[in-house]
Amino acid sequence: MNIANQPLLKLENITKRFKELTAVNGINLEVASGEKLVIIGPSGSGKSTLLRSINLLEEIEEGTIHFEGREVGYILHNGKRQQDRPQAISALRAEIGMVFQHFHLFPHMTVLGNVMEGPLTVQRKPASEARSIATEILAKVGLSDKRDVFPATLSGGQKQRVAIARALAMRPKMMLFDEPTSALDPELVGEVFDTIHTLADEGMTMIIVTHHMGFARELADRVIFMESGDFLAEGTPEELFGAAQDNERIRGFLNRLL
Amino acid sequence: MTLLFLCALTGSCLGAVDYDQLFRQSSDLMVQGDLDGALALLKQVPAPSAGEDASAFVSSRMQAGRIYASQNATDKAIAVCQDVLKLFPDNSEARNFVAALKDQLKPRWHTVLSDILRFLPVLAKGAVMTLLLVFCTMLVSPLGGLLVALGRLSRVRPVSAVCWFIIWFFRGTPLLLQLFFIYYGLPSLGITLSPFISAVIGLGLNYSAYLGEIIRGAIQSIEHGQMEAAKAIGMSYGQAMRRIIIPQTYKRLMPPVGNEFIALIKDTALVSTIAMVELMRAADQMFNTYFNITALVLAAAIYLILTTIFTFIFEKIEYRAGIYEHR
Repeated sequence: MNIANQPLLKLENITKRFKELTAVNGINLEVASGEKLVIIGPSGSGKSTLLRSINLLEEIEEGTIHFEGREVGYILHNGKRQQDRPQAISALRAEIGMVFQHFHLFPHMTVLGNVMEGPLTVQRKPASEARSIATEILAKVGLSDKRDVFPATLSGGQKQRVAIARALAMRPKMMLFDEPTSALDPELVGEVFDTIHTLADEGMTMIIVTHHMGFARELADRVIFMESGDFLAEGTPEELFGAAQDNERIRGFLNRLL
Repeated sequence: MTLLFLCALTGSCLGAVDYDQLFRQSSDLMVQGDLDGALALLKQVPAPSAGEDASAFVSSRMQAGRIYASQNATDKAIAVCQDVLKLFPDNSEARNFVAALKDQLKPRWHTVLSDILRFLPVLAKGAVMTLLLVFCTMLVSPLGGLLVALGRLSRVRPVSAVCWFIIWFFRGTPLLLQLFFIYYGLPSLGITLSPFISAVIGLGLNYSAYLGEIIRGAIQSIEHGQMEAAKAIGMSYGQAMRRIIIPQTYKRLMPPVGNEFIALIKDTALVSTIAMVELMRAADQMFNTYFNITALVLAAAIYLILTTIFTFIFEKIEYRAGIYEHR
């Protein structure tokens, strides 16, 4: 396999169990560089768990993760599979940006402080450089005027755009969005979508878990329908959302949402 | 009344020369509790004319003065004494008695003030030592508490077990006993510590245990998403704790930690038992020397002033620590 054709992310047989429940059931997935992948599916289908497994926020029981061709996250120690060293795990997370449903901004830091934090603490860049990176990215998400306020004063949409900026400040090679608009008032969804759209247009590789079908249709190169820890169907938006969709589960799910 | 009448009769019958009988009778009346009767008899002794023996007059008036004074009728007592001084200005007995009586008439606050001025320097010295102990403990115990809290949260079993034990032991035994053990007990193991070092170690360990549980609670109260968000941008556990989690606990820590430090100010009184002269010990010494309750009241006032200042400071810090939450 040559470098050009190599997928940025390759998942093989990813399995995550919570006690009795198998949340993710032997998933295989390849994501090409620059690809925009949208995962849809009912609540509890394992979408978020799969996403969190990719940047190792969940420890998986089985399977391998390859990022840029390297196997990441787990090593064999005396024949037993275990999590890689904390430094290696942190290093991977630094290359993959993650945006959460509930933003999880750092409330004790200003907007600028939140966006600077990654470059400053993780990449150990000088404060001046971190500040200029953060300033530039805040301008990109349209929040330059909010740089010196604390997150408590922001609207939900603004908070999520700061969260996106915080992830982007690390210059990630890939972005994971875990239901980025689900906690937002409907009138605030648009501004977050626009921000993600801009990012997509710039060629960022991204996996988005969302319940907004319109957004999935507009943005995705590929859509995956997930249920009970399995991929039930995958294809282009036209294939999945089109009239030709003959899977009743998917039709039912889409009809309930639309 | 009949008795009084009889006495008056006898007095007049005997004439003005022999007053011995009169004095005896008035003494008897005093013993019986009839002070008014005794006074009436004593006043029968007339003022002497020039050249006459004055001793009976002086004795009767002085005795009347003592009776008035015992009834707290200080102004009447002074009046009879001044009757004597009018005729005999040089009578030192009357003069001293008047001076003592006038002293009693001086307002109470005057003596309280002089007590305060006498005790204050000693108590202030004690208070400085109390504050020094408080500051040393305030320096040591948050660090100890943080270590114990992080230890308790550690996934490394022996570490969390040791920290659990420290909290269990130091919260579960009286501070007084710990101080005794450190100061009186350790020398038998070959470790002799000065009272001050013993006090700081005892208070430090005790308060580390309490603060440890408070800090652990505060860390665990921070929403889990904060740790995840920190990890998601590539932070290590230590970086996430230092930069994200612990700074957010400050506001939540202030009310319980303020409480603990106010309790600490008062708990320092316990170190008076291991030969430390701090505020409590100083007050106790003053009280035992002068048997004057002002020393204790004053110490209470100083403790109140200290705790009030601390309360005020901690309210300010709490407000500052949570400034990012204000919209």
